[in-house]
Order: sequence, then C-alpha cells, then structure tokens
Amino acid sequence: MRSIRLFLYGIPAALILLLAMAFLNASFLSVAKKNEMSVGTLGEPSTLNPIQQADSASAQVAGLMFNGLLKYNQDLDVVGDLATAWQLSQETTFQFGTGEEAAKARYLLDNKRVAGNWPITNIQTEGSNLIITLSQPGLTDSENIANTLTESGLHPLPSPPLDKGGKERSFKAEPIIHFNLRKDVRWHDGAPFTSADVAFTYHAIMDERVASPSSSDFELVSSLETPGPYSVVVRYKKPFSPALLSWMQSILPAHLLGKVEPAKWPEIYNRHPVGTGPFKFERWKTNEFIRLVKNPDYFRGSPWLDSIVFRVLPDPLTLQLAFQTKQVDFWAVEPWAVSSVEKDPRFDLFSSAGGMYNYIGWNLQRPMFQDVRLRKALAEAVNVPQMIKYIIYGRGVQSTGIFTPKMWFFNPKVRPLPYDPKAAAALLDEAGWKVGSDGIRVKNGTRLSFTLLANNGNEIRKDIATLVQDDLKKIGVEVKVEIYEWSVLLKRFVSKGEFDAIVLGWGLGNGFDQYGIWHSSQTHPEELNFIHYNNPKADHLLTDLRQEYNRAEIIRLAGDLQQTIYADQPYLFLFVPEGTSVMWKSSYRIRRPGPKSGEWIDSPVRMTKAGWDYDMEWFYRPEYAPNIPATTTIR
Amino acid sequence: MISFVIRRLVLSVVLLFIISIISFFIVTLTPGSPYPWGELNPKISPEVKANFRKKFHLDRPLHEQYGLIMRDLFSGNLRSIKDDRPVMSRILERLPATVALNLTSIVISLSFGTLLGVFAARYAGTWKDGAGSFIAFLFIALPGFWITYVVVVALVKGFGVPILGTHSYGIEFPNALASGLDTLWHLLLPATILALGGIASQSRYIRASMIESLREDYIRTARSKGLYEDVILLKHALRNSVRPIIAGIGMVLPALIGGAVVIETIFAYPGMGRLGYEAVLERDYPTLVALNFVVAALVLLGNLVSDLLSAAVDPRVRLE
Repeated sequence: MRSIRLFLYGIPAALILLLAMAFLNASFLSVAKKNEMSVGTLGEPSTLNPIQQADSASAQVAGLMFNGLLKYNQDLDVVGDLATAWQLSQETTFQFGTGEEAAKARYLLDNKRVAGNWPITNIQTEGSNLIITLSQPGLTDSENIANTLTESGLHPLPSPPLDKGGKERSFKAEPIIHFNLRKDVRWHDGAPFTSADVAFTYHAIMDERVASPSSSDFELVSSLETPGPYSVVVRYKKPFSPALLSWMQSILPAHLLGKVEPAKWPEIYNRHPVGTGPFKFERWKTNEFIRLVKNPDYFRGSPWLDSIVFRVLPDPLTLQLAFQTKQVDFWAVEPWAVSSVEKDPRFDLFSSAGGMYNYIGWNLQRPMFQDVRLRKALAEAVNVPQMIKYIIYGRGVQSTGIFTPKMWFFNPKVRPLPYDPKAAAALLDEAGWKVGSDGIRVKNGTRLSFTLLANNGNEIRKDIATLVQDDLKKIGVEVKVEIYEWSVLLKRFVSKGEFDAIVLGWGLGNGFDQYGIWHSSQTHPEELNFIHYNNPKADHLLTDLRQEYNRAEIIRLAGDLQQTIYADQPYLFLFVPEGTSVMWKSSYRIRRPGPKSGEWIDSPVRMTKAGWDYDMEWFYRPEYAPNIPATTTIR
Repeated sequence: MISFVIRRLVLSVVLLFIISIISFFIVTLTPGSPYPWGELNPKISPEVKANFRKKFHLDRPLHEQYGLIMRDLFSGNLRSIKDDRPVMSRILERLPATVALNLTSIVISLSFGTLLGVFAARYAGTWKDGAGSFIAFLFIALPGFWITYVVVVALVKGFGVPILGTHSYGIEFPNALASGLDTLWHLLLPATILALGGIASQSRYIRASMIESLREDYIRTARSKGLYEDVILLKHALRNSVRPIIAGIGMVLPALIGGAVVIETIFAYPGMGRLGYEAVLERDYPTLVALNFVVAALVLLGNLVSDLLSAAVDPRVRLE
C-alpha cells in the first residue's frame, strides 16, 4: 500500500520539483557571455570537406577554416589569399608543314611585334612549330597574328577544334597561370603549406571516387606543375576566363589525405577537418552545433574571438526567438518583418540586393510564345512594382535581365519595361490577337490562354503566379495556375519541356558565365536552357565572354549580352529581392589590419559588396576589446 | 511456449523482409532526387551528376539497388547519401538524446496520467470529473505544435530563459549543479510538452478501467469489510486496472526510439525524428530504409514482448 502511494504521488511530485528547480536555475543563470560568437543556421552542413560540399550551410562553416589561392576582397575584386601573386599568360602554337616555314614566320613576327602592338613576351620554334608566349590570354591577339601570317603568304596547318561544332582555328591557344604561394602558412596541425597541397587538391577534385561537385571548374586544365615548393603552374586546353575564379577553391592538406583512399575520408577527415584558415575545428555534435576555436597561428594574425559556434536551429520562429534572447548573434529577417525591426533602435540592420532574381520563363517551343511582340506585351501588362510592394514588402528592385545590380559587369543602362497595360493591349492587337466574344483574345482560332506552373512550398512564387493571372486577365489573356511539388515540377514538366510558362528564380553568385542557361546548345533534358532560347548574337557573346580576360572588355560584352537578352524578353524578368540581417546594436565591431604594416583600422560592422559578414576573423565583441590598439577608428 | 516464440520469430523475419521491400519502393519511387546541390544548379555539370549517381549506385535498376542496400545494411556498410557516413552510426549517435527524451516523456505521462485517472474515477460523475475530462480532451485535441509554440513564446518572451538544444550556450556555468540542472531543464521541458497528450489519454484509460473495476464484486466485498476508501481505490481497484497497460508495455520499445518531429524541430533537439524527417526531404534513401527497418523490427519485437507479458500477468492467457 505504501509503495503504491509512493509511486502514485511520489513520482509526479518529484518531477514537478525537478522542473521547478531547473526552471529557476535557467532563469537565474549568469549572463556572463564567453568571448564566443553564436550563429544560427536552419540547415545542418553535410560535410566540412570543401571539395565535396554543395550546400551553403557547409560552405559557411568551412569558409572559416580554409583558404583558397585567391579570394574576393570586400569590393569583390580578386586578390591573393594563399597566393601572393599570380600571372596570366598564354602559349599560342602555330604548326607549319616544315621547320623552314616556322623559322620564316618567326623572323616575320620578330620584326612586326612592335608594330602589331601585341603583348608578345617570347617567340621560339620547335621543329615545325612556332610557339608564341603572350602576356595576356585570349583569342583576339592570336587571331590578329594568324591574319598577319596568312597575309604574308605563310599558312599554318589547321588545329582541330576542342569542342564539337567549335570553330576550326589555325593555332592552338593554351592559357597559363603562374601562382606564387605564401611561405608563412601552416596547417592547423603545424605542417607547412606547399605547392604539393595545391597539386593534391586539384587531383582529388578530378578523382571520380571523390565525386566532387567542383570538378567541372577544372575540366579544361591540361596540366598542373609544381616547379618549386611555393610555385604552381597551371596550363589550360583553351582560353576560359571563368577558370581564374575556380582557384578560390579551398585547398586540402596533402600530408593528411594524400595516402588515404577517398572512401575513408568521411571517417578520418570530413567531420573534423584540418585547414589553414583563421579558425580551427573543435567539435561537431550532430543536429546541435559545430564549434570552431581561433587559430592563434593564422598567417594574417590570430582572430579576436576565442570561438564561433554554429547552432543548428531548424525552425525559423525559434531562430528568431533565439536571436531575441541573445542565444544567437545574428538573424536573417524575412521581408515582412523588416519594417518592424528597421525602426527598432536596439538593432543594427544590414540590407543588400542579392544575386538572385525571380522570373517567368516562356516555353519558346510553343508557337504562341515565339512572337517577341506577345512576350513584350505580357511583360508590359504585369505590374512588377506592385509585386515588389506587396509580395516582398518593398525589399527589392525590378530586374532588368540576366545580371543583378550587385555584379560588377551589370549594365545599368538597361531600363525595365514600364507597366503600361494600354501599350500592351495595342501591341497584342498589332500582333493579331483580337479580343474574342468571351473577353479572351483570339488569333486564327487559338485562344490566348496558357498554364503557368509554380512550385509548392514557395509562397513568393505562388503569389507571383496569382498576381500575374490577375494582371493578364485585364488585357484579355487567360492564365491557368497549377502548383506542383518541386521535384514533380522538374521531372514531369521542366526537363521534358512540357510546359507553357513557369515561375522560377536563379541564384547566381558573382560569375559572368551564363553559357549553361542561355546558349542554344544547352537545351537537352536536364540542361538549363529549358525554354529553348536561341539567338545567334547571344550565342556569340556567351562564347566570347568566357574566352575574354580583359576586365573592360568583359564589362562591354556582358553589358551587350544583358541588353540583347532583355530585348528578346525570353523571360518575364521580375525582381531581385533584398536580403536583410540584423544584430543587436554594436554587439560586434571590426578591427582589421590596414594597407600599411602596423596599421589597424577599427570600424563598425558594415555592409560591403561581399556582404556584412566579410572579414569575420576580425570581428570582436566590445567587452573583449583586442589588445592591439587601433591606429584609425571609424565611428 | 518455446514453439510459440520460435514461430513468432520466423514470422517476424518474413514480415520484416516484406516491410523492407515495401518501404524501399515507397522511398525510391517518390519523385525527387538525392542531389545535395539541388536539382536546378547552373554550376553542376552532367558529368558530376553521373559520377554522383554511380558512386551511390543510383544508376542501377531498382531491384539491384534494393539488393545492394540490403547487403550493405546487414554487413554494416550502408552509407548515407547526405554525408557518406555509415547509416548505423548516424542512427546510434541520436540514440542517447532520443531515448532520454522519450523515456522521460513516458515516465511523465504514465505517472501523471495514472494519478489523474485515479482521481477522475474517484470523483466520477461530479463536476471535478467533468472539468478533468474537459481538460484531458482539450489536450488530446489541441495540435502539439500549437501548444509547443505557446509555451515556447511565453517562456522566452516572459522569462527570457534559454530553451533550445540540450543545454545553454555561450555561458560560463558557476558550478556542476547549475550545469546539470541546465541540462535537466532542456530535457524536462520538451519531455513534458511531448507528454501532454499522453497524460490526457493515459488518464482516460485509467479512469475507464477503474470505473469498471469499482463495479466488481470484490470491491463491494472490500467496502462491506469497512476498508478505507483509499485502500480500496489504490490496493484493490488500481492493481486490477493497470493490467491492460502492462500488456501494452511492449509497445514502449519502438516508442523509445520513435521521433517527435515537431517538438524536436521547434526545440532544436537532436533526436531521431529530425533524422528521419530530414532524410525524407533530402531523399537520403539508405538512411530512410535503415530507419524503417529498425523501427519495424522493434515494433515486431515489442508485440512479442507484449504477448509474453500478458501471459505472465494474466494466468487466463495461454500462448499456443
């Protein structure tokens, strides 16, 4: 009897007592914060091995532990990271029938190199080959040289094109990048960093067993040599300018992984990696947190923070609560909540238009959408400014084509089509679409009616579809909206080309190469030009762009490309949403080394082109001020 | 008895085999692909995709894939598509937190449920019983996520207490007691909320079963002997009322490792529910098949244990 009583009343009483004690303990815990930054992420990284990851959560964490040879500075210019310097050059090879002819060509060019204003640094012959070294890669100079040779009656043998359907040229152009590496870099385990690590990383990425998602970036590398421990020479099969950016790829330690089979990496490395970066791995508790601690031997100097903890908080509302109770230090605000946070003096806000835009893709294989007048009319009939106002609460700008304003090659001269339903109606009349008896336009017995697809789980895209349906109804266009689950949408409609129109978005990073999305050869199933866009001028620009190394020329070509595609209106370009993050007012500042040695610049956390979280290693909490005084302070 | 157990075990193996086939096909025939980089990624070339499919045998016909998954499952080499780690170690690393949460929650729901059920039976028909029933049905009816959000928002906004994860972050604990109580807090709070529905339904079972027992002849005999009401209630009626619950205790086995997706997600608690839920979203076929297999095995084992326990506590049950 007593034991029954004990069970019946005792256990609940004990539980209530424990809960009360635990609650009191939790509410009286001292708020003495550690010198630790706490970042909340909705998703958990899949791996911390930078050559095997493809998700942003993994990249965010690994980015603090690794370095590439190159990186972006805060203005998105390419600067050295593990490399102190790099030089681009190119070897252009002309093959002749005889060695005599090659020697003649060499003599000719030796005399003309100044007059031709070519950036030639060396000319030599090897048998019947004439090898010219140029200080700038690209095709223009080589083509000019080839023309000069032909004009003088010298005819190099044709060189077979590298890709199917490519142009046949009279020369072979092989760009070369020389990297000089830093000598003061050590891995987190103390081993020195050398060119062997770079070579290892390249070979690992190309190793099928590694299944690296980055391998396509390095496909055009023909050889990688390491003439010395701090020098790397990469040779390419043909000019491909986006290749330089691929050297932002994080470098892996050869001494740890070189002798281990890739199948073993998940156990021995991927969840506790060793890098060269400002923070070292400490602990990963699955589905809870990853903690990194400072690397006091970092080659740019020890970070100010003792540690950074990435907490996995899968629910957006609890992530917000965690921020409000200072359990995490930053919060990515949804557009609808920005206006309430903006006026709050307790917070610092960082907003910027991103690299992502929303659009409606017209299936250009459907006869209806092949008329550019119709596509233009549809674009003029949709009220995009109103969409920005109501769907993303004004946090974004109207898209003017395939690039977004934050990219350095963006063309600001392209103006968005104005909202003008009258002009749209007139344009449709002109194109032969007359209003029928039911209010819907008809041409040759075809009603102007189509199905617009969007995916479930994305409220913004569903809202876009609804507003487009409403706007187009006003000018006599019938839109049927259908919503499918994301994978179904892709498998059943997009990859088979079985759709009229679809609401989608592209998130694009900072690269200018959009060959995969717009070139007319990229229309096979699973390829990305699923709307079947085909414009020979755009094709040329896309091909030229990825062979161009000159910055000014890239800006010109990219600008022309953006203009050309926007004029064709193959998409209805909608808007570029803005991303906003907040932190508690002045909870962090930045003290980073200035351009001169011994100089330290102290500034608030601020938005840069590379984001507000650029230079994370130099963030500090004011209550743990750095021991090195600032030479310049920006308020 | 022994032949019964053997027959049941053989039957269970056959059942498991059928379950594994069904669960494999449900999982793999669902639209979607397990690519970690999303399906429309301009940076991924077709060669990379093909290489990835080859690495995880996704280029083979489905029946071969099934064979490979089962072979790897039994040899312990089955690897997750998400992070390429052995699936069993991914499941095992969640086990302590999951078992702690579920065990605590089961203890809370059984103890409070029984207590409330006994009271409800004692005051059956009065307003106290009515109020209790109302509250019990309220907790059964209210969706778990709603209650959880209300509690979470109230605690965080009202008291500013940390509630997420398995302990507080970024804080120097003054001593081991504070740190221990902090961990306990992060366990008891989600376990209590998880138990609310259980308390309500458990109290209803006990109440019904008690009321039935209280009508029995032996209770009238006890009353006529002049025993205290408490003794009648707790010693005679309650003991006979918990029998169906003991018989059902085998089902605790799968419940111990079962997940509570909503509560785990809101509390950022690292349990089995999130493992399964995220594996579904990521189309991580090996993890899903392994999880289904383990849970199915535990359900079958739990059923067997329940049958054996009923035979043990109730002499009228014969296992043949």
